[in-house]
Amino acid sequence: MILKQLARAAGVFLVVTFATFALMYGNGEGVARATLGLSASAEDVQRRVVELGLDRPLLVQYLDWLGGVFAGDLGRSYFTGLDVTTALEVRVPVTLSLVIATLLLTIVGSVLIGVAAAYYGGWIDRTVQFLGGVGAAIPPFIVAVVLVLFFGVEWPLFPATGYIRPEESFTGWLYSITLPVAALLVGTIAGGAWQIRGAVRDMLSRDFVRTLRARGISERAVVLRHVLRSASGPGIIAFGLLVIGMLGGTIFVERVFALPGMGQLVTQSAQAGDIPMVMGSVLVTIVIVLVVNVAADLANSLLNPKARKR
Amino acid sequence: MRITKRRTLAALALPAAAVIALAGCTGDDSGETTGGDDTYAKLTLGMTADLTGGWDIVDQPPYQSWGIEAVYEPLVRCLPGGELTAAAAESWEISEDNRSFTATLREGATYSDGTPVDAESVAASYDVVKETASDRYGDITYEIADPQTITISWPEPQPLMNVRVCSPYLASIDFIESDDRDTSPVGSGPYTYDAAASTPGSAYTLVKNDDYWNTDAYPYETLELRVLEDETASLNALKTGQIDGTIISATTYDEAESSGMEITGVQAGLLMIHLTDRLGEVIPALGDVRVRQAMNMVIDKQAVVDQLWDGHAEPIWQPFQLNSQAILDIDEPYPYDVEEAKALMAEAGYEDGFTMTIPTMEGQGWTVIIPYLTQQLAELNITLEQDALSGPDAIATLLSGDYPVPVWQVGGQTSVEDITVHVLDTGFWNVLHQPNETIDALWEEIVTGDEAQQIAAQQEINQYLVDNAWFVPILSPYNYYAYNADKVTVTDVSDPNGLHPKLIDFQ
Repeated sequence: MILKQLARAAGVFLVVTFATFALMYGNGEGVARATLGLSASAEDVQRRVVELGLDRPLLVQYLDWLGGVFAGDLGRSYFTGLDVTTALEVRVPVTLSLVIATLLLTIVGSVLIGVAAAYYGGWIDRTVQFLGGVGAAIPPFIVAVVLVLFFGVEWPLFPATGYIRPEESFTGWLYSITLPVAALLVGTIAGGAWQIRGAVRDMLSRDFVRTLRARGISERAVVLRHVLRSASGPGIIAFGLLVIGMLGGTIFVERVFALPGMGQLVTQSAQAGDIPMVMGSVLVTIVIVLVVNVAADLANSLLNPKARKR
Repeated sequence: MRITKRRTLAALALPAAAVIALAGCTGDDSGETTGGDDTYAKLTLGMTADLTGGWDIVDQPPYQSWGIEAVYEPLVRCLPGGELTAAAAESWEISEDNRSFTATLREGATYSDGTPVDAESVAASYDVVKETASDRYGDITYEIADPQTITISWPEPQPLMNVRVCSPYLASIDFIESDDRDTSPVGSGPYTYDAAASTPGSAYTLVKNDDYWNTDAYPYETLELRVLEDETASLNALKTGQIDGTIISATTYDEAESSGMEITGVQAGLLMIHLTDRLGEVIPALGDVRVRQAMNMVIDKQAVVDQLWDGHAEPIWQPFQLNSQAILDIDEPYPYDVEEAKALMAEAGYEDGFTMTIPTMEGQGWTVIIPYLTQQLAELNITLEQDALSGPDAIATLLSGDYPVPVWQVGGQTSVEDITVHVLDTGFWNVLHQPNETIDALWEEIVTGDEAQQIAAQQEINQYLVDNAWFVPILSPYNYYAYNADKVTVTDVSDPNGLHPKLIDFQ
């Protein structure tokens, strides 16, 4: 099973990276001019095209990049000359900080809220459904702007912009990611709680729950041990998808809080045609997506015996 | 139940206590004195874009180049109006034929790697620039009389000699020959780059170079440049003291002002419709001067300034900067008059109008001006369409000639520079590059004449452009720089491009 997953992952990696490379390709002259500025002469542009190797065939350039990946060399930015791996070393932890913190808080929050809504029903359920709808509908960008306005500027409890590395100051790091994570959390908890609520409600209506109750098993054990475990399958898949979706949401949040994360790097590099930087970012994104998928599969099979048999 | 409540309260109290405790820890030492009378601890500036060319000395844009100004030094510095002031060279001389620049370098100056700032390193630095700016430096030669004296010569007279010599930065020979030019700068400027304390793409830290010859002009011990691409984020950082100054636009002017920031305004740049198809090769109607004049007459420039720019600009009628040598003392040549404009179009046989497509790119304020231009040109039955350019090909496409009527803000350090950029047929903003004998003859006078003849020829060019309506000049906007006056003082804006204060202006 692991070999099969690895083969699938390798296939996805090759298809996505080649497709990205092909999409970025063909702008050799444009990229060279963009690096030199408005006043560059045609000769200077041509010289730069050759210098950057942009005059070579697509496949040669791609294979060159791929060879570099296996050798641990992702190249250098066409614009700033910065080593791509160095840039990623700075950017990846920022985005991962946001994604992991948001995911953990989302799991805890969604499970608590979703189970409560499904179990108690009534006004709690209606409130959760209403707030969930509102929360899911508001883009993280808007939430971020409101949060920074109130808790960053008007009532400056947290820094309005910037990121502090945890190795520099753990409390500073906690501070710097609080508002961005809160901005992402509103939508993710709303979506996650909905998923958990639906799955738990479904399980609560099953025959095995009635049987468990008839056997005198405590409500806490029924809900936490049996119902929640059975509902975990769709929940884990939902959380996996949430992480992948969150990678997009972080782009806007990083911009509002001026965080030097992957989102900023991807948008800047793609706009400029900085192929090495875009490919480095794509590589990291694919790895995150593949790791999340494998982790979700493993978690699912650990919690759900049925999934193991598949 | 009670226990649960207590636990909940305890769980909430912990992060709340942490928040309160941490809030007490935050602070900013920008502007704190370090003991000396005129030295300060830290200057933190916001940049709205990352370093676009890394730390290499090659072709660095003048926009927000505080980092480059900090680590490198040019031979001489350009001031507004085209004057020069000392930098690595303590004195200089320009030959009578305007072909050679002889610089005398100050004794004892060194690069941050300890090597001397000598004539050889100046030549090596200019050699690097030759590779990417071959149209301006491609054929230069050097004569080195001694380690402190270098003469740089061009084969043709250089009316833009001052701009040519103040643009390139100097770096050590070892740096120039290294592979780390983009990431490890070695210059002779007032600061040195502290890579260990920097996060590329986010924040750059520079520390004062005590060996610099003019350290008193740079009072801050540490310089931090923070990249804040979003204007709102930038303003928030300024309001909360995370940065000491940043560029703002007219749209955030009021907010910055109401939050107590000091704002410096510099007027520079020319927003114009560039009617580059004066021969009517692509859009035949533009070959008729009456059509071009009519287009000038349907734009109510004062109304645009008052209503669309909220007064943060000045209306213009000539295609040159207001204080430049080329400017003429004339009344508005084409006053706003829609009926007269329609009559001119009819007279030229174009009362049915025509269609033209203009290129747009993000961040040039088109959302404000284009709807107005579309509406006004429609009065003459001219249909204005837009093509949004983006991605790496945008600049190449913009200058390719596919769009003969760009609407763009331009403006260099002097009117001579502006002539080379958007008037001469070789100018990159004269996108169709159509030849013109009158302009060529006047340019020859600028190239070969003395100062009085140069100024006269520039003004004649201006008169010719106005008479023949080569452009539709609209306005010259104010560039704004907002800063926290409690922490920094901006004495003056010495940027010859009028974009923002230079590093030396922060005191």
